[in-house]
Amino acid sequence: MILNGVAIADTFAEAFTMRVARIVITARTAQWADAAATKLTGFATSVIGCKVEAAIERVLPVSETPDGRPGVSVLFLTIDKASLPEQLIVRLGQTVLTCPTTACFDGLPDAPDRLAVGKALRVFGDGFQASKVIGGKRYWRLPVMEGEFLVAETFGMQKGVGGGNFLILAEDADAALGAAEAAVAAMTNRAGVILPFPGGVVRSGSKVGARRYKSLVASTNDAFCPTLRPLTASALPDGVNSVLEIVLDGTDAPAIAAAMRVGIRAACRPGVRQITAANFGGKLGPHHFHLRQILA
Amino acid sequence: MSDAVVLSLTHPPEHALVAPAIAADRFATLGAKEIAALPVLHGGRAARLGDFWRVRGERSATLRLEGELDRVEGIATAMAGGEMVITGNAGRDLGLELGGGRIEVRGSVGDNVGGARPGAARGMTGGEIVVRGGAGAGAGAAMRRGLVVVLGDTGPGAGRGMIAGTTLVGGRAGRGAGRFVKRGSLVLLGPAERPATFRYACTYRPPHVALLLRYLRTRYGLEIADRYVTGRYERYTGDMAELGKGEILQWIGN
Repeated sequence: MILNGVAIADTFAEAFTMRVARIVITARTAQWADAAATKLTGFATSVIGCKVEAAIERVLPVSETPDGRPGVSVLFLTIDKASLPEQLIVRLGQTVLTCPTTACFDGLPDAPDRLAVGKALRVFGDGFQASKVIGGKRYWRLPVMEGEFLVAETFGMQKGVGGGNFLILAEDADAALGAAEAAVAAMTNRAGVILPFPGGVVRSGSKVGARRYKSLVASTNDAFCPTLRPLTASALPDGVNSVLEIVLDGTDAPAIAAAMRVGIRAACRPGVRQITAANFGGKLGPHHFHLRQILA
Repeated sequence: MSDAVVLSLTHPPEHALVAPAIAADRFATLGAKEIAALPVLHGGRAARLGDFWRVRGERSATLRLEGELDRVEGIATAMAGGEMVITGNAGRDLGLELGGGRIEVRGSVGDNVGGARPGAARGMTGGEIVVRGGAGAGAGAAMRRGLVVVLGDTGPGAGRGMIAGTTLVGGRAGRGAGRFVKRGSLVLLGPAERPATFRYACTYRPPHVALLLRYLRTRYGLEIADRYVTGRYERYTGDMAELGKGEILQWIGN
């Protein structure tokens, strides 16, 4: 398959089932909501090292937020059920609670699995906290020096998908970066999808384990490193001198497939030789995103 | 089973009509004849619901009451669920000891809406009562949990002795509002005379009030001006003669 002169490899991205929560942060201004969300999702690129993958999902207009203020929605994903509340309690407590004017709401109200995050955070109120039930949902009011912090008592958790991906194989680093930026722009602010890496882009794609250091969980994906072309079983076609990867997490597979479709189309531009994807032979993850099927 | 049970007042009561049996959750399992046979007290004498109302529909937890019910007392006593709309006024003791569900009154109500029985320690333990008109004395008194909203004026003692929950008054609140509150919130959008046992804390924009007012707009279609949603409120804590963990939130403007 050729798309805008770019070859689409006959392969698939292999993704995993994860647990996901959606956090809605509102604030007096969009800037403060963004400030809280940016800190909240810092150091949350990969479960390999961060134990959680998180990023801003969408910027929310006032018409879509529970309290009518500017907001952002954030997706949080972990491998197991237990890690998700742990990460949320620590991170919300240190970032959103501390940020001026913010309030924090559950973005998955219909999910039957409930995480008692606000219930845990309430003890910061040292006995001065108070709860309110509004529309059948309980919220906690924590007195803070600025005024009050309002947080939902529980947050929904559901199964999500982590590790959707595609690789941009380009003639040079500038072409790879330009294509990646175009792909990220096309995939940003879509419901149900986040790109957890810096700017949405990964330059250090990894393989499972390591050749030399047996204790490593992951190491550099040498097959796609241009500098190692003569030294390893390279997967790079001739003329490819730089590779960037886009990693996608989301609430469900259709959301990821839809984002990959627009992202790959945006990445197919001059200077790009091939779009391919990372997988593990289909043995590790239940979600397979076949590039040519997505683009058909 | 019907979409809703509708009770239309055909014979307005000449005396006080005590009708605690009228409750949305109870009607969910009753046929029309069984509903019409429910007992009421008219002027202290036993009567049947069907003597005063025409019953349409059956076996539904959605209930609509039509007619002016100023003399009908104790509607929805201890109701635990379901939805009820009263198109006109209602008498005293509406939602007495309400445990759950929603009641919307398009008109006004009498004394002790959402309140407690005489001598009882607590009134409402859950649910929501929204009154578009005014209310008599003791709206939301002794509430343990839940929400009472009165868009118009209230008589004396709104939220008196609340243990928790929220009472909101959109108009003028009569004297003694919030007296003996242990916990809970009394939100006052109009003028009120506060008990001396409340202490001023601060002036701020309470986030839960904005959330509550927006919920009332969405859920009940109430026309609540933006100035109340985004406005500033004075917070008074009290009643210092009790636990002192309650609050009066008095709207003061933007």
